[in-house]
Amino acid sequence: MLWIAKRIGVSLVLMWVVATVVFLALHMVPGDPAELLLSTGGAMPDAYAIAELREKLGLNRPIWEQYLAFLEGLSRGDLGNSLVDDYPVAEEILLRLPRTLELILAGTILSVLIALPAGTFAAVRAGGAFDRAASWIAALLQAVPVFVLGTLLILLLAQTLRWMPAGGYVPLAQDPARHLLLLSLPAIAIAKGLTATVFRMTRASVLDALSRDHVRTARAKGLTPRRVLTRHVVRNALIPVTTVLGLQMGTLLGGTVLVEYVFNWPGLSTPLLRAVEGRDYPMVVGIVLTVSALFLLINLAMDLLYAALDPRISRS
Amino acid sequence: MRRLYLPGLAVLFICLVAAAAPLLPMPDPIRQDVANRLAAWLPGSPLGRDEFGRDVLSRLIWGARSSLMVAFIASAIAAVVGTALGLLGGWFRGVAEFLAIRGADVVLCFPPVLLALLVVTLLGPGTATLILVLSVLYLPGFIRVSFAEVLSARNQDYVEAVRALGAPTMRILLRTVLPNIAGPVLVQFSLAVAAAVVLESGLSFLGLGVVPPTPSWGLMIRGARSTMEQAPMLLVWPCVALTFTILAMNILCDAVRDIADKRGGGGAKRLRLVDRLLPGLFPPPASPAPLLDVQGLTVEIAVPGGVIKPVEDVSFSLSAGRTLAIVGESGSGKSMAATAIMGLLPPAARAADGVARFEGEDLLRMPEAQRRRLRGGAMAMVFQDPMSSLNPVHRIGDQVAEAIRAHRDVTAEAARREAVDLLKRVGIADPERRARAYPHELSGGMRQRVMIAMAIANKPRLLIADEPTTALDVTVQAAILELLAVLRREEGMGVVLITHSLGVVAEVAEDVVVMYAAQVVERGPVAEVFARPLHPYTRALLAAVPDGDAEPEGIPGVVPRPDQWPPGCRFAPRCAHATEACNAAPPALEGQGDRAVRCIRWREIAP
Repeated sequence: MLWIAKRIGVSLVLMWVVATVVFLALHMVPGDPAELLLSTGGAMPDAYAIAELREKLGLNRPIWEQYLAFLEGLSRGDLGNSLVDDYPVAEEILLRLPRTLELILAGTILSVLIALPAGTFAAVRAGGAFDRAASWIAALLQAVPVFVLGTLLILLLAQTLRWMPAGGYVPLAQDPARHLLLLSLPAIAIAKGLTATVFRMTRASVLDALSRDHVRTARAKGLTPRRVLTRHVVRNALIPVTTVLGLQMGTLLGGTVLVEYVFNWPGLSTPLLRAVEGRDYPMVVGIVLTVSALFLLINLAMDLLYAALDPRISRS
Repeated sequence: MRRLYLPGLAVLFICLVAAAAPLLPMPDPIRQDVANRLAAWLPGSPLGRDEFGRDVLSRLIWGARSSLMVAFIASAIAAVVGTALGLLGGWFRGVAEFLAIRGADVVLCFPPVLLALLVVTLLGPGTATLILVLSVLYLPGFIRVSFAEVLSARNQDYVEAVRALGAPTMRILLRTVLPNIAGPVLVQFSLAVAAAVVLESGLSFLGLGVVPPTPSWGLMIRGARSTMEQAPMLLVWPCVALTFTILAMNILCDAVRDIADKRGGGGAKRLRLVDRLLPGLFPPPASPAPLLDVQGLTVEIAVPGGVIKPVEDVSFSLSAGRTLAIVGESGSGKSMAATAIMGLLPPAARAADGVARFEGEDLLRMPEAQRRRLRGGAMAMVFQDPMSSLNPVHRIGDQVAEAIRAHRDVTAEAARREAVDLLKRVGIADPERRARAYPHELSGGMRQRVMIAMAIANKPRLLIADEPTTALDVTVQAAILELLAVLRREEGMGVVLITHSLGVVAEVAEDVVVMYAAQVVERGPVAEVFARPLHPYTRALLAAVPDGDAEPEGIPGVVPRPDQWPPGCRFAPRCAHATEACNAAPPALEGQGDRAVRCIRWREIAP
């Protein structure tokens, strides 16, 4: 239990570090942030607008005061207002986050469902036809960038064959069938990298577990091959796989930005990209912090899962 | 090395074409020609024109140039800065270590694309921003790799030596440590370049990377999306170019990594779960047979360059209730013989010849399913290292109960109760509580008791114990041997005890088989062999027997490797009595009563 408390503490500290780095990033940029944010295409913004923005962002106050105000806002869940339309950033995120989460969840489930059995089977029959074919597919999946796969899926399934809609979004409550149909292509695209990585990791991990002494012991007991595989090989091989799963979620979260853009999925990507282009500073900060927090949270969950799978971690 | 060629050539080709872009006779990649927009083919434009009438092939090649340039420059900066930080952190520790490692951790807290977008917001899109972002993103990899390598290099003898000579820190780092971490850093560099190409194209695709009109694969895909209906190939070309480049780079990375790893230490042996089934069933002999009768057992392993035989023509037999010891140094093939009998050989090895009859049935030619029912049932095995032989993630009570349920149809609860009884039987105090413990929570001796409990769970008639006390403390060894002796008496099992300790043999065994370099060199009742050893090797072993249970010392040299056996007597090179005749031809195993010896001079030299 102490271990879990410690691990949660570490996550909170990391969250604070992330927030501080983001805060400092703006203030470390040479020049006046307000001027920087307002200047577009080299034209000098007028002094009145700069003064107004400085006031609004609180840039006139000492930096530590701004920092404390920033942290205090964060703790209340207040991420400030958009510079473009003055809409609260937190509300925009709350509206769109569930859609991004749905995409992440669907992609992860899809990857794990495909990659774990495939990786195990490839390892058990290492060097066989399935292993070689699957390893090549995994290498190809790892090589094709997520937005390329998304674009090619649209070109093939939507544009050429006309089997699927090219993208878009319908709320689940309004039309569940169409909602899932629209979810499927982005989910496949987002799952591709994780599937390839988890496949390779599972394969390596199962191969490693197969050569362990305790597997020989299990066979010496006279257990059936199936039971040796599930209880003494796969169960042990899952432990390193969870770590990789957690670390790979960073790539997956970044991938959602591209996939949502490709498929017009109204998650966090749309306001993020609009804000990056328009230099809507509070919106960018809000979304980057939210997704980073999500990343840390997923890794925390993976570590707890790791401890649950491996009694040597939490009990010693 | 051969794995490097194809992907290496592909990557080299891409790099060369990209580098030579200004020299190639191609149209200007940014010259617009609206009259010919979306043309599928034009003279001089084999891949056609894009939505602004620009030449596609030219843009592909120039796009490669900008992608690769950004990726290489960013990775090079990351490599130089990251390696420097890692070196300094690993060498000076303290504050330098804290800054380098924690700094790397902070970068890793952000999903990469998000961190890139944050920086683009602050600095605006462009090539310079891209290079900065990418080099920051790949810093942690270099810091970690070089830090870890320096830590291990620091303590190595040659670095210690240079330090003791008073060389200045900078010189040690640059001249001694840096060349040794070159391999891992190179691997990291190739990974970073491949990842940077992916991220650069992604950001350019979002319109936040390379700024138009500079050609870039990401920008080309972005532009072609809007004209997907009229000109689908416009989309396909940059997708193929990008995927092919990354695929070639990834395969090259894998090959480079494998080669770098191999230098560090051999790769783990790969195993297959599915056993080879040996065909055919020998007819059981009519006469009442000994419990275990092994005749001419030979194990072969296919290795690059031929076949080695770690076990060759090994014969012995064991009656119920007796203990047979197999002794020999490491590498004599005694454990391999035992695993062959149990049908637990690693897949690379196979029992090529001979028979091993257990209660009259040949284990070597039995279908795997039938042999599986015997394993852990009528015949059981205890292994050398109880820590690695128990599954670390299951409670020991469950592991013992599993052995029971593998052979008998009992409820989980009954098996659990029986497991607790077994733990008590092998001398584990407080068995109820210990049954719920994990292997790492027990001592070595206790773990071996658990292994024994597992082995005797189904009242085996044959127990093979492979160096059961080698991994244990001296004080625990006697207790484990005593336990095995008591169980043998009570259960009437036949025991095959594999050991390198003659002290153990004298204590517990009735018969002994001495093995050397895959062969039986002497065989007989313990009392007789100890009183009058016939083979020079047995005599040397007895003369070398130490007080404790250490490997026998005092015989010059080591057991030769299976691919380097002498043509004649395999012990001849280490034997004090060897003559030319010994090296001429392999000696046969000569029998005399219940004894046997493989030495042409045993009559002359035996006392």
